[in-house]
Amino acid sequence: MNLKIMAVAVLACLTLYSCEKELYINEPGNMVPKTVEGDPSLPSISVNGTTLHAETFGNPDSALIIFLHGGPGGDYRSGLNVKRLAEDGYHVVFYDQRGSGLSKRHEKHTYSIQLYLDDLSAVIEHYKKAPNQRVILFGHSWGAILAAAYINKYPTQIHGAIFAEPGGFNKDLLNEYGGASRKLNPLLEKTSDVLYYDQFLTGRENEHEVLDYKLAIMSSFSYAQGNDEGVEGPFPFWRNGAAVLQAFSSISENEGFDFTTDLDQFQKKVLFIYGEKNKSYGLSFAKKEAAFFPLAELVQIENTGHQMIHFNWNSVYPKVLNYLTSIK
Amino acid sequence: MKTYKILIVLFFSLFQLTKAQTINWKSLESSRHILNTAIGWDYGLTYNVGYGFQLKTKAPIVLNAQFSIPSGEKTFDDFNSKIGVTLLLLNSPNLKGSITANGIYRKYDSPFVCMQNFGSELKGAIGYYKSKWFIAGEIGFDKAIVTHFKHSSIFRESVYSDVKDGWYEPATGGNFSYGLQTGYSFKKSDITLNIGKVLSQDFKTSPLIPFYTKIGFNYRIN
Repeated sequence: MNLKIMAVAVLACLTLYSCEKELYINEPGNMVPKTVEGDPSLPSISVNGTTLHAETFGNPDSALIIFLHGGPGGDYRSGLNVKRLAEDGYHVVFYDQRGSGLSKRHEKHTYSIQLYLDDLSAVIEHYKKAPNQRVILFGHSWGAILAAAYINKYPTQIHGAIFAEPGGFNKDLLNEYGGASRKLNPLLEKTSDVLYYDQFLTGRENEHEVLDYKLAIMSSFSYAQGNDEGVEGPFPFWRNGAAVLQAFSSISENEGFDFTTDLDQFQKKVLFIYGEKNKSYGLSFAKKEAAFFPLAELVQIENTGHQMIHFNWNSVYPKVLNYLTSIK
Repeated sequence: MKTYKILIVLFFSLFQLTKAQTINWKSLESSRHILNTAIGWDYGLTYNVGYGFQLKTKAPIVLNAQFSIPSGEKTFDDFNSKIGVTLLLLNSPNLKGSITANGIYRKYDSPFVCMQNFGSELKGAIGYYKSKWFIAGEIGFDKAIVTHFKHSSIFRESVYSDVKDGWYEPATGGNFSYGLQTGYSFKKSDITLNIGKVLSQDFKTSPLIPFYTKIGFNYRIN
């Protein structure tokens, strides 16, 4: 008798539960935000055969500051404080790189460094109103590496650059920074948090929603207590593009890269900023990267780490503004 | 339709055949109870405890229960629990083959999300067994059949405010594993080792750490 009652109770619970709407992990918008393809209300530009999530602040005729976000695969949400520079007379341009953030996704095999440089050329061309309009790159982390790659290839197109903790202008430096900043200690909770869910979720190469979602969950590692990069806490982002990250990781691993070969040709002053609390970067690493440029200024940002633009913009802003004033 | 699927999952979880421990069939003999503890790498550094009960049947059948947690400061926020049975299908003097299936209930909790999953695991092992030692090949498939997601306020504020919580179907994951198991037996005890690789169900991708290993200790009681 008791068994029958239990069986009825279990079935009743299941029936109630089954009234919930079924959810599908690959359904756009369920686990990660829709990109510009699925959400036409997002601001975007169509350039170089793709659609990029992009927005600008300031007078379109002013000097351009192009913000390059981190990743590869991240987005510009945590860099939005940079729009403050619009009030200082700059036209500040944000865009999510190809396949990243809320920009259109592409298949993994289509990505290349040259394609990313071509996209940046196309973005500059899209927003540049006059031939003599100055263009300044402001890169954070991977975005700063991309800025160096662009200057290395097209030094005459750029009039200044701000590098916020680029994690390696060539493969050796990338390995050095990555090794120092992303150590996995199997005893710690933060390590379990990025490994244990592999038994819950698997995604095939073209199952972007699953792969992007997994990467989003993994990001809690970067701000876990005691992290080497001095990240204060959760920082905002829309979507991490897993295909982009995998593609550039493969390129780095299989082909290597070196974006320093012609940086000595760049005669403009550049600014390096680094967070006091990032144990993996610091003055010594900044010096190594700045040494590729003939004229570089190094500035430590006090009381912050790798996500200094989001967490301590009030300290970043005056340093950046001083630099911009000095290169006018 | 959804109720039907859940009933199937529960059926598998409660009644399906499973293997939770690595057993030396040659030394098992008439032991009724097997206590097991193990440490290893299984999607993280994990600590395991298990219990096996051998039925009084002509062909050996062992009922099993196993519980494991990964390393970390929070003890029970993540875990994996399995119940089931192991059947010895091939039982020649030294060559033995077993098939096993587990019903799985597991949980994952991070600053962003809490996941609860019902799944199943099927495994097969075939190898050479002596009373003092054994070595066998093993192959398995672990399917995450239905998963509940509950996202934290941190995730909604810093990543995606419109993320949808609830039970997700169809299967949210699946991994194949293959490798070796071996062990040394003495008195009432076995020391066992499992080692192998893990591949995602598409055979192209793999988990971040694509291998498993487990060092275990069995204590047999008549």
